[in-house]
Amino acid sequence: MPSVEASGLRREFKAKDAPVVALDGVTLKVGQGEVFGVLGPNGAGKTTMIRILSTLLLPTGGWAKVMGHDVEHEPEKVRKVINMASGAEKAGYDFISAKRNLWFFSQLYGIPSEKAEKKIAELSETLGLTKYLDRKFYALSTGYRQRATIARAFVNDPRVVFLDEPTIGLDVMTARSIREFLQGEARRNGRTIILASHNMAEVDAICDRVAIIDKGRILAEGTPEELKRSLGVPALVMEVSPPREGFETLSRIAGVKGFTSSTEEERGLCTVQVVVENDAAARAAEDAIRSEGLKVVASWRKQATLEEVFVALVGQGFKEREEEGAG
Amino acid sequence: MKARALVRLWSIFGEPLWIVVSMGFPVLSSLAFFLLYYSMGAVSYVGFAVLGGVMVSFWGNVLWSMASQFNWDKQEGLFEIYLTSPASISAILIGMSVGGIIGTLPSAAIVTAFGWTLISVLQLPVPVVGSWLAVALTFALTLASLYAMGMTLSSLYLVYGREAESMNNVLQEPVSLLSGMYFPSVGTFSPFPSAVQIVASLIPLTIGMNALRLALFSTPGADTLALVFPSLAILAAMAVVFMAVSAYSLKALEYKGRKDGTISVRIR
Repeated sequence: MPSVEASGLRREFKAKDAPVVALDGVTLKVGQGEVFGVLGPNGAGKTTMIRILSTLLLPTGGWAKVMGHDVEHEPEKVRKVINMASGAEKAGYDFISAKRNLWFFSQLYGIPSEKAEKKIAELSETLGLTKYLDRKFYALSTGYRQRATIARAFVNDPRVVFLDEPTIGLDVMTARSIREFLQGEARRNGRTIILASHNMAEVDAICDRVAIIDKGRILAEGTPEELKRSLGVPALVMEVSPPREGFETLSRIAGVKGFTSSTEEERGLCTVQVVVENDAAARAAEDAIRSEGLKVVASWRKQATLEEVFVALVGQGFKEREEEGAG
Repeated sequence: MKARALVRLWSIFGEPLWIVVSMGFPVLSSLAFFLLYYSMGAVSYVGFAVLGGVMVSFWGNVLWSMASQFNWDKQEGLFEIYLTSPASISAILIGMSVGGIIGTLPSAAIVTAFGWTLISVLQLPVPVVGSWLAVALTFALTLASLYAMGMTLSSLYLVYGREAESMNNVLQEPVSLLSGMYFPSVGTFSPFPSAVQIVASLIPLTIGMNALRLALFSTPGADTLALVFPSLAILAAMAVVFMAVSAYSLKALEYKGRKDGTISVRIR
């Protein structure tokens, strides 16, 4: 039995002009002990998916099950086996200590106090929180507050944990220790972790499988390696001078799947990254830039990352997609 | 339930400024009415001022720490932690009420001690309590119905966003006035016309305050328990009705929130 299963999952939100489709026919299966990444730009539908699977939101179409229980009709059964945490939540009462907060949240699951205290000590040790347990919640730094949030999400020994951007805004070291913790929980304790993120490096580093989502649809699914291999050849990176906006000519070249660009004002150039199907397309892309009177200061080929996979699927990077959505 | 009660207590006593505010303000407002009655020569009414100070502490706790709590929890992402857990939301609210009552008792005790000291120092007539059982029952049922009303408000406030705070401000003073916190607002001595008295009677605090005044300041020798019995029955009924309404509205609002996607509203 898959830990999480969904078929044709759909969610519309009412809006003034027309309903907004946040999730559009998502189908997936996640096995026990898997770290499953849901990767997409802001507004892609990741949080909506997490909220439906964690019983906070009803689907308007399709169905989803967690540990065999229907999220729409059996929320009470689902809630006994899950937990969730979000990088955006505050997740604790300010004027009580981190330890008391964790104990309180463990009581929502009816865990005997002694067992809960042992679990809190164990989680705190692994997450490097022990020294700060007696501090009031408001006095914890963002990093330690987030460690406490993650500890809270595991305090009831959940079978499935939903995490929405759990390392957002954290320093590199804290983010890394949280990632190691998550991997350990999946490997050692067989917990299924569904991780929604727009941090591609994070998803690449810890997820066994990844679903790339955009405009409410899953565009591709597989292991990070499978997804990257699907691109075929390495991406082309060019540093172009003088900097400018708009490289639409690239998208008209046969074999170019998509591109992103960013301006570096200080260096007076633009970095253009082009996802290509073959080497000929890479050469044509470089020629096209030169033919527009721009100077290619440097160019190289780059091993594919999940970002290029997204660009290949959508034709744009996360940044451009989010700007388009905001516009 | 027990855990939520403890969180309430830890929060109340973990915030020094809140201790000062919750204990100091009722003493001051009680003192104002005490001195007013004293300067008017209405010395038999000074007890009303002390009782008002005691009950205003609980009313403040119901409004600001019960009714608004889920709304604040919702704003900060804590309410969704409750919802995704198997815990009963009604049990959480009951825990919050128990914690709130215990946490407010010191404030009530301070007002009582302050009032008692003033009465002794000024050598005013001390009320003779006919039946402490009647007083205890009335006090307990008043709090039960008051906090049950807080539970209902807490669930209804989930519909609101930040307007919940304004709703509290809108309710605070009118309810204090109508319920007769410092003077009888229903009955023979009420300054209000009967239509206003009928509206005031729908508030559990009005019935409770009236019954407490009867229990505490009735004529010596009167059968106090019999006097307050109708009020006790009404208060018990109100407590049951408010708790049922709260449980129903929580279920309904949870379903509505899941359907409309309004459960998560965060400030961060």
